[in-house]
Amino acid sequence: MSKNLDASKLPDYSYEFKSPLWWGIIGLVTVEGTVVATLIASFFYLQGNHAAWPPAGTNPPELLLPTLSTLVLLASMVPVYLTDKAFKSGNPEPLGRLPLFSILLALIFLAIKAYEYGGHIDFRWDTHAYGSVVWLMIGFHSAHVIAVILKTLVIVYLARKHYFTPEKRIAVTVNGLYWYFVAAAWIPLYLTIYWGSRIWG
Amino acid sequence: MSLPWRKKLNFSMAFHCQLPITVFLALPAHANQSALQPAGPLAAAIANLFWGMMIGGGLILTAVLAMLTIGLLKARRTAKPRHLTFIQSRNLVIISGVVIPSIILTVFVVSSAAVNRDIVAPMPKNALTVKVTGHQWWWEVNYLDTEGKYIARTANEIRIPVGKPVRISLESSDVIHSFWIPKLNGKTDMIPGKTNLTWVQADKPGSYRGQCTEFCGKQHAKMAFVVDAVPEEEFETWLRQQGQPAREPMTEKEAQGKQVFLGSSCVMCHAIRGTSALASVAPDLTHIGSRKTLAAGSMENMPGTLASWILSPQSFKPGSHMPATALTGEDLGNLVEYLLSLE
Amino acid sequence: MIDSASIPQDKETQQLEQTWGSPPGFFAWFTWVNQKNIGMRFIVTGFVFFILGVVLALLMRIQLAVPENNFMDPETYNQVFSMHGITMMFLFAVPVMEGIAVYIIPLMLGTRDMTFPRLNAFGYYIYLIAGVMMYAALFLKIAPDAGWFSYPPLAGAAFSPGLGLDFYTTVITFMEISALVAAIELIATIFKCKVPGMSLNRMPIFVWSILVMSFMIVFALPPLVIASLMLALDRMAGMHFFTAASGDPVLWQHLFWFFGHPEVYIIFIPALGMISSIIITFTQRPIFGYIPIVLSIVAIGFIGFGLWVHHMFTAGLPQLGSNFFTASSAMIAIPSGVQIFCWIATLWGSKPKLDTPLLHVLGFFLIFIIGGLSGVMVASVPFDLQAHDTYFVVAHFHYVLVGGAVFPLLGGLYYWYPKFTGRMMSERLGKAAFWITFAGFNLTFFPMHKLGLDGMPRRVYTYIDGLGWNEANLFISISSVVLAIGFMLTLLNVLISLRRGIIAKDNPWNADTLEWATSSPPPSYNFRHIRTVDSRYPLWSGTGGLEQNPVVTGIRSDRREILLTSILESQPESRQPLPGPSPWPFWLAVAVAITFAGMMIHLAIPLLGFLLCFVAIAGWVWPKQVEAAK
Ligand code: HEA
Ligand code: HEA
Ligand code: HEC
Ligand code: CUA
Ligand SMILES: [Cu+2]
Repeated sequence: MSKNLDASKLPDYSYEFKSPLWWGIIGLVTVEGTVVATLIASFFYLQGNHAAWPPAGTNPPELLLPTLSTLVLLASMVPVYLTDKAFKSGNPEPLGRLPLFSILLALIFLAIKAYEYGGHIDFRWDTHAYGSVVWLMIGFHSAHVIAVILKTLVIVYLARKHYFTPEKRIAVTVNGLYWYFVAAAWIPLYLTIYWGSRIWG
Repeated sequence: MSLPWRKKLNFSMAFHCQLPITVFLALPAHANQSALQPAGPLAAAIANLFWGMMIGGGLILTAVLAMLTIGLLKARRTAKPRHLTFIQSRNLVIISGVVIPSIILTVFVVSSAAVNRDIVAPMPKNALTVKVTGHQWWWEVNYLDTEGKYIARTANEIRIPVGKPVRISLESSDVIHSFWIPKLNGKTDMIPGKTNLTWVQADKPGSYRGQCTEFCGKQHAKMAFVVDAVPEEEFETWLRQQGQPAREPMTEKEAQGKQVFLGSSCVMCHAIRGTSALASVAPDLTHIGSRKTLAAGSMENMPGTLASWILSPQSFKPGSHMPATALTGEDLGNLVEYLLSLE
Repeated sequence: MIDSASIPQDKETQQLEQTWGSPPGFFAWFTWVNQKNIGMRFIVTGFVFFILGVVLALLMRIQLAVPENNFMDPETYNQVFSMHGITMMFLFAVPVMEGIAVYIIPLMLGTRDMTFPRLNAFGYYIYLIAGVMMYAALFLKIAPDAGWFSYPPLAGAAFSPGLGLDFYTTVITFMEISALVAAIELIATIFKCKVPGMSLNRMPIFVWSILVMSFMIVFALPPLVIASLMLALDRMAGMHFFTAASGDPVLWQHLFWFFGHPEVYIIFIPALGMISSIIITFTQRPIFGYIPIVLSIVAIGFIGFGLWVHHMFTAGLPQLGSNFFTASSAMIAIPSGVQIFCWIATLWGSKPKLDTPLLHVLGFFLIFIIGGLSGVMVASVPFDLQAHDTYFVVAHFHYVLVGGAVFPLLGGLYYWYPKFTGRMMSERLGKAAFWITFAGFNLTFFPMHKLGLDGMPRRVYTYIDGLGWNEANLFISISSVVLAIGFMLTLLNVLISLRRGIIAKDNPWNADTLEWATSSPPPSYNFRHIRTVDSRYPLWSGTGGLEQNPVVTGIRSDRREILLTSILESQPESRQPLPGPSPWPFWLAVAVAITFAGMMIHLAIPLLGFLLCFVAIAGWVWPKQVEAAK
């Protein structure tokens, strides 16, 4: 009979890929990444049905604002990264405020989108297939931005209640991962909507 | 659930109108539509491919089951199991699981592609083109000349010259349908907004049934048609005649029938070329008298069936887009007489 | 519900019992999260839907028994065949496979629960609500009526007004959430919760098959979620994804089959795992070709994503491309064949016990090979132009679905029934049921090949006389009654054995995997002692088997806690506390239901639902400590 294996000394928390939560979020990101890929594939597939894309009568979208808003969204990753880094080196303190900057930037991003699609484009979702797929992409992504903002607000609130000890760091890491995903997923969408049809249209 | 009395009601209505009652839906026995009784080169090639695969598949099935049985019986009389050695097992899996299947499948893929090449082979330029448009639950048929100009229009019936390839251009006006004549060729979908091409060729004169094979709603089941392959001269005559406007009524009854038609709601949907009825949302009736079947191959075209159809289309094809029309017995009789005279 | 009878009820056992037990009471029922509870719910609910699906099948067979039958009008028939397909594919096959996985996998891995127990419960409620909604629609006669793949434009608002197709889009999107949740959870559990020593190359083949199935779900379902959302938007917001005017109906077909083909392997692959388990146990020897079998399963998983166009050969796509899909479909026959021959090599000369589980596996061989071969036939473009959308295809997929998935599933049911219930199913009744089902199945579905070649299209509510189809159809309808009797006998067996079955030992079949190393049925905490393993066949290895192996100590029993190990080598890494019973998964499922179903009523309701979801999620994750701090 060999020696028993004592687990009582093992930590009761885990980080990164040792944590099931991390794998859970990777799974979620993979699922959503597949959704983004499907949307982009549908965009180009539908393009094949039209002589011009966007279809005749619709102007290609402006570039300036969306590019700006893309930069804003990318910038929003920085505070998330800094927070996570500080926390990893044992300093949970920025968690109570740094993410608020990210949230602010994400709100600016949303505001720009709302401005852009609230009247500065000349097609609706039910105008033609182009309108449908673009609106779906924008809607899908904006819903995610809203979701990640809400999620982050909860984290900040809990941090202010001093809930996060280093052992609970994984929740913060995972939220950060999701933030990166939401920001990063915008890039292929942005390229598709604003550049794709310029290059292949 | 459908009401059983509907049919009875319909029969009694027919009695009431004092019309001869024929047996409904009695199609000739040869009207089968088996893909394994080909009547043209394409269907024949596919049928051969099928038999090849069938024999191959039968052999594979027998061989695998034989191995399984032998293996299971191997240790029947011995007290101890008689396992295969590792090497024996490995060889079994590699040879019968990888090597032999790879060879068989290569043959399969190549022969499939070879038959496929014949199917997609380009058509002669001067081939006749028939444009078939799917509608919820009937077929509009237009004959086009080599320039793509309209020659003639009919519905639910296609006539082709024997021994000649015919190009079929497929469209749909509503949902997806699929055009299939098992004895002549495989099916091709009719997709709204697109045009698909296929072709058929019949080697023997005869009548070949076709049917819609993409689920298209309530009456997908009763969306059939007939392809008649006839000798070329006969075909030419027929085509010329189909291009003509409808024949004028010759008898008093027919003339009255025509008035009934033009005075009823029929004109809102149907066309009889040469009259004021020009609508195009339902089958063109210009030469309805020369057709073999009614309502997309659902029944024979005879006075009794035609009358019952006009009175109550919904009891034959529930959900069909043709509404019932109430007519007196006399009007109905004249109308039927007129329609059937339109050869 | 105690551990193995030999172990006395010590204090630790009581403690475990208290920590892991699910609270009693009707309302508490909605808070349960234990993997075995949830797994069993999936299984039972799945079989209930299966019975409903079978009833629908019999109704169809009554209608088709004679030409021009008036038993059902076309509206009803179309709803019935659509619901039959939807039930079997979405409400029965996938959830039952997931249910068995959820129940068995943690036991096979030697752990006490899954990594996200609450998510598990959430997935179940989503599934339950979706299924109930679907059948409510059927009873109100507003069920979807455009088949399980509902091609637009027929499924669009113009040609299918009314709520039927709205139910379809909603429920499909919904069901996918349930499956995705289960898949992610199974992946995380298989990666992190293997008992120490169970490195990847010692994982039971069944676990491998579930892992592959889960990965397939992760990549195959999102396109369908988006496609059904697009269809919903086309219908409800006048969008143009699939309209002929500006969108493209064929886009739906690509998206659907990009999901649909992997879907059939999602059903099939767990069945392969079950067959391996049963063959190992009944031959009482290690399987031949563990590695080839695992690689074959993985290969099927990969290649499965490259076949979807073989469902669209008649859509008029470029022909060269189509031939490519013939080749890829042929390729998938090889990993299937490799497994079959590995099993034959294992069975060869091994004097297996011919009990019902193995009988079902042998039945599988005949039925699945026929179905597989007809699959290869229809993978040929020219032949498929004839066979597509005829009863030939109906025959093909019932052979593979029933032979390839339902038969192994029933084998698995007989096999694991003692573990689930603590009693054996009756062998005599089981054998009788098997033979009747087997004969009935072949008599029902084999003639369909002929019918298809004779030109009978599928999805027709009736057919006219004189086409030569009458005899075959009548024969099929009569045979389907035989089949149904066989099915009733199995059902009867399940119910009777629940009370009357012989009491099962912990390991009645002398099997090799860890689920048999605990009592039948297992206690709420699965294992009293968690023992490390050092072989692929832990219950057989060494002289004393598992009893010789070291025990893992130091996992707390005063709270729900499991051991996490590394992915490849399965070295202990950490302990993971797990959440206990909670009503929030249920409320979240309700909120999600409001979000999706609300769309059918008004487009503003989803916004409300979105907020409700957020509230439910916050309630769910809200840590207890914060409340305590206040
Ligand atoms: C469990 C489910 C399951 C499984 C396992 C399969 C397995 C296969 N299927 Fe099937 N299929 C379905 C479920 C399944 N299918 C369903 C539900 C549909 C219809 C959907 C709908 O329209 O509603 C369908 C439809 C379908 C079509 C579309 C037909 C049409 O609509 O026109 C095609 C075409 O290629 C196809 C092919 C195949 C192939 C090549 C396999 C292969 O994987 C089979 C491989 C197995 C073997 C070949 C047998 C074992 C191997 C050997 C013994 C080795 C030796 C063999 C050779 C050398 C050949 N299937
Ligand atoms: C897993 C999937 C599954 C299963 C099991 C079945 C089972 C049956 N199906 Fe199938 N069927 C489909 C999936 C399935 N079907 C799909 C996807 C479609 C396409 C729908 C569409 O076109 O949209 C279809 C379509 C379809 C049609 C074509 C309809 C049409 O095109 O108009 C028909 C026609 O006869 C039919 C008949 C039957 C019959 C008679 C059974 C019977 O065999 C059922 C009887 C029972 C058994 C085979 C199993 C035996 C079970 C036991 C012995 C034990 C049970 C144990 C417990 C409950 C504990 N089905
Ligand atoms: C609202 C439109 C509508 C009206 C009005 C209508 N029909 Fe029809 N008719 C149809 C449609 C649609 C079909 C094809 C039905 C089918 O096969 O499903 C059809 C089919 C037919 C056919 C069979 C054609 C064929 O080729 O198989 C005949 C004959 C016919 N109608 C005669 C009449 C007569 C006579 C009247 C008037 C008394 C009439 N119809 C009124 C729509 C209409
Ligand atoms: Cu037209 Cu089916
Ligand atoms: Cu497939």
